[in-house]
Amino acid sequence: MRAALSSEWLKLRSVTSTFHAIGAAALMLALGLVWTFYAGELADERESIGTAAPEQGLLPLVQMSLAVIGVLAITSEHTTGTIRASLTAVPRRGALLLAKAGVVGAVTFVAAHTIILITYGVCRLIAGDRQLGFNEISFSHDLPMLLTSGLSVTVLALVGLGLGFVTRSTAGAIVSVVSLLFVLPAAATYLPPSWNTRVAAYMLPNLVPQIADQQLSRRVGDGLLFPWVALTVLLGYAVAALTIGFFMLRRRDA
Amino acid sequence: MHVIASEWLKVRSVRSSHLILILSLGAILLGVGLAWMASGMYDSAPPAQQSRARLAKLEEVLIVVPQLCLGVLGVLAITSEYATGTIRASLTVVPRRWPVLTAKATVVGALGLLTGATTVFGTYFLCRWVVGDRFAGVYTAPFLDKLPTLITTGLSVAVFALLGLGLGVILRSTAGAITILVGLVYVIPMIVGNLPEPWSELLGSVMIGSLPRQITGDDLTYTVYGSLLAPAAAATALTAYALLPVLAGAWLLRRRDA
Amino acid sequence: MIELRQLTKHYGVTLAVDDLTFTVTPGHVTGFLGPNGSGKSTAMRLILGLDAPDSGEALVNGRPYTSLSLPMRQVGALLDANAVHGGRSAYHHLLCLARTNDLGPRRVTEVLEQVGLAGAARRRVRGFSLGMKQRLGIAAALLGDPGVLMFDEPVNGLDPGGVRWIRDLMRTLAAEGRTILLSSHLMSEMALTADRIVIVGRGRLIADTTVDALTASHPTLEDAYMALTASSAQFEASP
Repeated sequence: MRAALSSEWLKLRSVTSTFHAIGAAALMLALGLVWTFYAGELADERESIGTAAPEQGLLPLVQMSLAVIGVLAITSEHTTGTIRASLTAVPRRGALLLAKAGVVGAVTFVAAHTIILITYGVCRLIAGDRQLGFNEISFSHDLPMLLTSGLSVTVLALVGLGLGFVTRSTAGAIVSVVSLLFVLPAAATYLPPSWNTRVAAYMLPNLVPQIADQQLSRRVGDGLLFPWVALTVLLGYAVAALTIGFFMLRRRDA
Repeated sequence: MHVIASEWLKVRSVRSSHLILILSLGAILLGVGLAWMASGMYDSAPPAQQSRARLAKLEEVLIVVPQLCLGVLGVLAITSEYATGTIRASLTVVPRRWPVLTAKATVVGALGLLTGATTVFGTYFLCRWVVGDRFAGVYTAPFLDKLPTLITTGLSVAVFALLGLGLGVILRSTAGAITILVGLVYVIPMIVGNLPEPWSELLGSVMIGSLPRQITGDDLTYTVYGSLLAPAAAATALTAYALLPVLAGAWLLRRRDA
Repeated sequence: MIELRQLTKHYGVTLAVDDLTFTVTPGHVTGFLGPNGSGKSTAMRLILGLDAPDSGEALVNGRPYTSLSLPMRQVGALLDANAVHGGRSAYHHLLCLARTNDLGPRRVTEVLEQVGLAGAARRRVRGFSLGMKQRLGIAAALLGDPGVLMFDEPVNGLDPGGVRWIRDLMRTLAAEGRTILLSSHLMSEMALTADRIVIVGRGRLIADTTVDALTASHPTLEDAYMALTASSAQFEASP
């Protein structure tokens, strides 16, 4: 297993796409800076304003960019045909999948938390003691939300990996991730009342505030799920995608 | 003409295109299902609730499905050639590069137009039939009043197809092009919606999702989008989304080695 | 040692490998011949556990491939030289494979030198010619210094110097007591390289014999091959 992990780690860091994806995610910091500077200027004119926190408003950027790392970790092997060499070197297919999941999980976990926490810190520093609507709350109060945001990125990357094993297609897996992240949650809000809240509560991006025990959104109101239930559902997404991926990988010819 | 026929065959002969088109048309079923479910709940609700109940215009909401699908079809139309190396064969058979891209754009655009029109009109008519005069008459407006919005909404699917093709030619990578497409459609509007005014309204007005309804002057108050553009300006912006990436791609295609 | 026992594999309605039984023994080069689509590549994939057989079994050194714990140290294979990530350097491509079987960077450098790619080790594979990719694929097969080696069309795209290099390499590896299964469509080359010949057609075994026996009954290996496979060519130009 250690050998398979070290190979997957090298695979990930020896292609430029990984760095493009991390670079795209790191745009959060640049955009967060612009966001805070501008909000700060407005606040100087109007004394206080209410804007969303940059690391929350820009979270979809990080989620989407890093999920692509998970997708490409497997679909690039199918496009290029290297999957056959990989399975010849590691014939136990479960080991290959676990090694990929371990490396993708670790890399996206570290990258997401680094980007989110740096953006958080730098933006609060720039905001200073101006009232921007997001910087009056203490760090200890924000921490659950920050950690959950980072965790959601890792879960999405693992979902992307699992769906990559299922679809074996870059386009198919990315579109599936987009559906989970954007299309289905948006569609859920158009369901007739009471159904919309019930379904929306289980949508992947909506689990983040529920885990951190914060208001879900103006539209769907407070969450329905206890934090630990929401956390279980979030992890369940990753486990489900990887499990389906594993069964497909084991059953099919390479 | 024969270049177009060849590109049409290329799109038609791969399984991914069939899947994409089936998924797009699935939006009609989804719309009818939602309309049917909502109508059932409406009928069993007390009159006081009925008068407050609202339903979204499903053909406008669900257009995101064919938009995304055809965008991906546009991307794959070119990136699959790069991934498999057939691009070299394509450019050998038709050495002048403009006709190849023009033919691809024609095929992809036409498919987008056809799928967009089918989904929009299909969803509209079926939902109108299912919903009737429920939900404060959301589906009782005369068809002719709705027609402009239906047309621009359907057109937007062709715009997505061309946008996907353009991004694909520029980036030569399936993952890159689809991610940027998704960024333009979902991520950036979400970020823009969170920005402080006036930027939210300003940038929200040039987001691709807002343009079809700005062209027809529809109300965009309860969306993340803005509505600062006059119909003609919105139409120009929508055309730019469709054509600028393809033109940039054409220029790159001529300059680059295959 | 590679053993195939009543190996059968369908893809949908196509019968790719049909009740195939033969043994590849160590110490000599076994040529694996057959028309396009006759099941050679499928048989190799079945041996490597990439595809699962409908019935029968394929054993490497007496065991199914998928049960080997460090498989690259026992079996090396080149299936498709183009199956490499274009964005990775030759060195990293090999190191990715080496690490899975606890092989170090020193071994990677060794095989790169052995196949003559030491100078291109840090270049991205995207820019490689087919011949260079074939050498890279052979390097990957040799990584674990295995006793069993399989090569699917390794001379494709090689220059005359490369073809001779492959021939000498195959014969050297066999002389070291290894088991070599080599598929190729170049009969003249095969006559110079192989000692034993296995011919398949439409997934079935047609001949399992020696080069000497075939050339004794026919003027050349090519004539023998044409005579034996006359009825089983699947994709043939009309005369």
